[in-house]
Amino acid sequence: MASGDRSADGRGAAATGDVPLAVELRGITKRFPGVVANRDIELRVRRGEVHAVVGENGAGKSTLMKTLYGEHRPDEGQVLVDGREVHFRSPADAIAAGIGMVHQHFMLADNFTVLENVVLGSEPTRRGRLDLAEARRRIAEISDRYSLGLRADALVEDLGVGDRQRVEIAKVLYRNARTLILDEPTAVLVPQEVDELFANLAELKREGLTVIFISHKLDEVRRVADSITVIRRGTTVGTADPRTTTVKQLAELMVGAELPSPEIRSSTVRETPVLRLAGVTVTDSGRRPVVDDVTLTVREGEVVGIAGVEGNGQAELVDAVMGLRPLAAGAVLLGDEDVTGWSTRARRESGVGFIPEDRHRQGMLLDAPLWENRILGHQTRPPAVKGPFIDRRGARADTARIMREYDVRAPGPDTLAVALSGGNQQKLIVGREMSARPRLLVAAHPTRGVDVGAQSVIWELLKDARAEGLGIVLVSADLDELIGLSDTLHVMLRGRLVATLDPRRVTPEELGGHMTGARTTAGAA
Amino acid sequence: MSAVVRRVGLSLFGPLLAVLVALVISALVIALIGQDPIEAFSVMVDLGDSPAQQVQSIVVILNRAVPLFLAGLAVAVAFRMGLFNIGVEGQYRLATILAAAVGAAVVLPGPLHVLLVIVVAMGVGALWAGIVGVLKVTRGVSEVISSIMLNFIALGLASFLLTGPLRGSPPGASIVTTSEIPESGRVPGLNGLLTAFGLAEPRSSLYGFLPVAVVVGVVVAVLLERTRFGFDLRATGLSPSAATASGVDARGMVVKTMLISGAIAGLIGLPDLLGEQFDYGTEFTAGLGFLGIAVALLGRSTPLGIALAALLFAFLDRAALPLQFADIPASVVTIIQGTIVLAVVIANEIARRLALRSAERAGAAAGSGPADDGAGGGAPPGDSPDGGRRVRTGVPGTPEDVQA
Repeated sequence: MASGDRSADGRGAAATGDVPLAVELRGITKRFPGVVANRDIELRVRRGEVHAVVGENGAGKSTLMKTLYGEHRPDEGQVLVDGREVHFRSPADAIAAGIGMVHQHFMLADNFTVLENVVLGSEPTRRGRLDLAEARRRIAEISDRYSLGLRADALVEDLGVGDRQRVEIAKVLYRNARTLILDEPTAVLVPQEVDELFANLAELKREGLTVIFISHKLDEVRRVADSITVIRRGTTVGTADPRTTTVKQLAELMVGAELPSPEIRSSTVRETPVLRLAGVTVTDSGRRPVVDDVTLTVREGEVVGIAGVEGNGQAELVDAVMGLRPLAAGAVLLGDEDVTGWSTRARRESGVGFIPEDRHRQGMLLDAPLWENRILGHQTRPPAVKGPFIDRRGARADTARIMREYDVRAPGPDTLAVALSGGNQQKLIVGREMSARPRLLVAAHPTRGVDVGAQSVIWELLKDARAEGLGIVLVSADLDELIGLSDTLHVMLRGRLVATLDPRRVTPEELGGHMTGARTTAGAA
Repeated sequence: MSAVVRRVGLSLFGPLLAVLVALVISALVIALIGQDPIEAFSVMVDLGDSPAQQVQSIVVILNRAVPLFLAGLAVAVAFRMGLFNIGVEGQYRLATILAAAVGAAVVLPGPLHVLLVIVVAMGVGALWAGIVGVLKVTRGVSEVISSIMLNFIALGLASFLLTGPLRGSPPGASIVTTSEIPESGRVPGLNGLLTAFGLAEPRSSLYGFLPVAVVVGVVVAVLLERTRFGFDLRATGLSPSAATASGVDARGMVVKTMLISGAIAGLIGLPDLLGEQFDYGTEFTAGLGFLGIAVALLGRSTPLGIALAALLFAFLDRAALPLQFADIPASVVTIIQGTIVLAVVIANEIARRLALRSAERAGAAAGSGPADDGAGGGAPPGDSPDGGRRVRTGVPGTPEDVQA
């Protein structure tokens, strides 16, 4: 068990003690146009510990780690490594300071060997030529020292996921990192591989290295971490000792205690189904099923929530409903029509609204004015279009109406979308989708990255639309949102719907337990 | 209102800055080769002494600008969708020789004959470019690679056709050409119009294809800016992922865009073919496809901008001859053109960032949200969610952006 050999050293040495902190972040604030991704972050990581940074998706963990790894510079605050303030201009600076990053998505060249991948970018040379013997010697040394079990000459494309991750770790160690950042390292692993990874982390710790472990899987965090920092909505909300903190307390820190009062709401669910999924299966590049035999029904006036840890097939399920990804098996029915073979446009025309997960990528044209963004996704329908032509005046007028009715704060329809804050962009998207009077709305993380004010506006809009008979598929990582809005709540784990819960009775902790699989496998902690 | 003025100002700022930087660099180069830059520039802007010479110079510029404009349009249509059609060169060469052969082979009443030649040229250009589109959506071949490869094939094919089946010139002639297009297939010049305006009669004839090019420009402008199709096309260029999510069929758009781009490319050779040469030969104007890329870049892929860019390039091209008379190497012109293209890519990016920053300020001023919201708008957008910052200078993004 990884929890058995937890080291007790360094525990007494606080920030002011003689042992300087391996990494300290003070008051880090990072803004992107329209969003504050991190605000006043405080993080203190002691040398030789596994420090977990937990938070929901979109809470700002990745932004923070990019700051620490020098991928961008913070707008405010200080970064201290070993007690000295540093200013990283690029990851190269961070590496030089002994910080290494193992990305969630591996950055390996498949057609290279393990050895070649590890040395790539910092090749040992002798008289201008690659010194293979030296590289081999150092990799063997790293592999032995940290029990990584690397085969230097194996091709990366022949390796399993766990092995690839160890190659990534070796890459970082090869560059003499003393502090390793692991970004969601378990997201891609099966339980057995997770155990192996945790054994590797124990080795690293024993050798005095520091590990920053980013995750949102609370049970894993409690197993492996020596201390925990919780991030919510872009800022640190607390630290916890995994030995004395329960999963329940962690979850409360993570999602916030301010759960909406369980309002007595009249159900608006009607009988007519608007969307039926029958055995929907989606595979990734033809092999592994990422959505596995999902069957569900959304009726008029019903909000069907899909809960789940990100990466368990929710995004692919949304794509399947929208026609952005072909099905390997199963059928999608809109009303009584089988739309499995329909294009995205045909589906949208027949009354499907879409609030995409990543509005910058899928929901907006950032460099285009708002009125053009009003047209996006509604290219075939009035008021923005007359026959084959764009109705500029109509689009502008309707954009102005949306801005009024949905409280989009911007100078005018000719403003570029990029100038709007995240919340205003999202309100425009919601207004645009609602204006087409859809039968079904597919909403993926509709309030992610928006400020609290916009969030409540969007929630109200969704509730009103539901009352008018709109069927909503709500994918979210915000447990408050799921519990507060859903009429039916499904939990998705590894592509399958593993539980159906009554949102009026479930608690965030129970829901969290189902999301991580802890509820079904064991009694959970 | 002032925001509009500001935006227009910013969009002009890039190209003007580029031209200015190019002139400075060129002046340095001219000085380095031991010539007087001032003299060189004055030779270039001197259109002639007599009114007749001046009109002649302007006609030469316009005649050169027409094919450059069409080439720029062909490239720009693909640019706007995020595709890099480098194959314009091959598309127009192949289109021109086949159009010339068809034009020479038939005799039809005037307008019909010309129309047939135009249709053949556009068809051939579209087909040749269509291959690129089909390869991209079915096999995932980058359009950059396939269009370059198809250039070689097109040029080889054109040479083969010219020396083989389509040869019209007598054996042993120094210049190999196709047969001449008869009178009915030619587009008469517009010199009558010039004299009607009281201008001196130039030696060369102003191409009758000029109004055709203007019409094509207007059609492209309307297509891009005012139609649903154009919206889909531009949306795909701005954000392939957002366009797909909005219901645009990315694969279909790739093929359609390449077909349109190729059809316009097919027209490039026609002003020369139907206005002056009347046959396609070894001496036929080459390189217009590549110049079109430069023109489209300079014109920021908008029809009006491309028209101005084409006029500028044509003006520079005309200066080559007078420069030689003044004992200054004509390659000065090429240097200026080259530096303009280089400078424009940089200047456009600077202008884009300035525009974004001013837009962000405007947005921050209007939104009375939290105080810290959007106030730190120094960073360009797009590097927050996916880490990938796309540079939009009119140059399309990476090929996989539009991969279907």
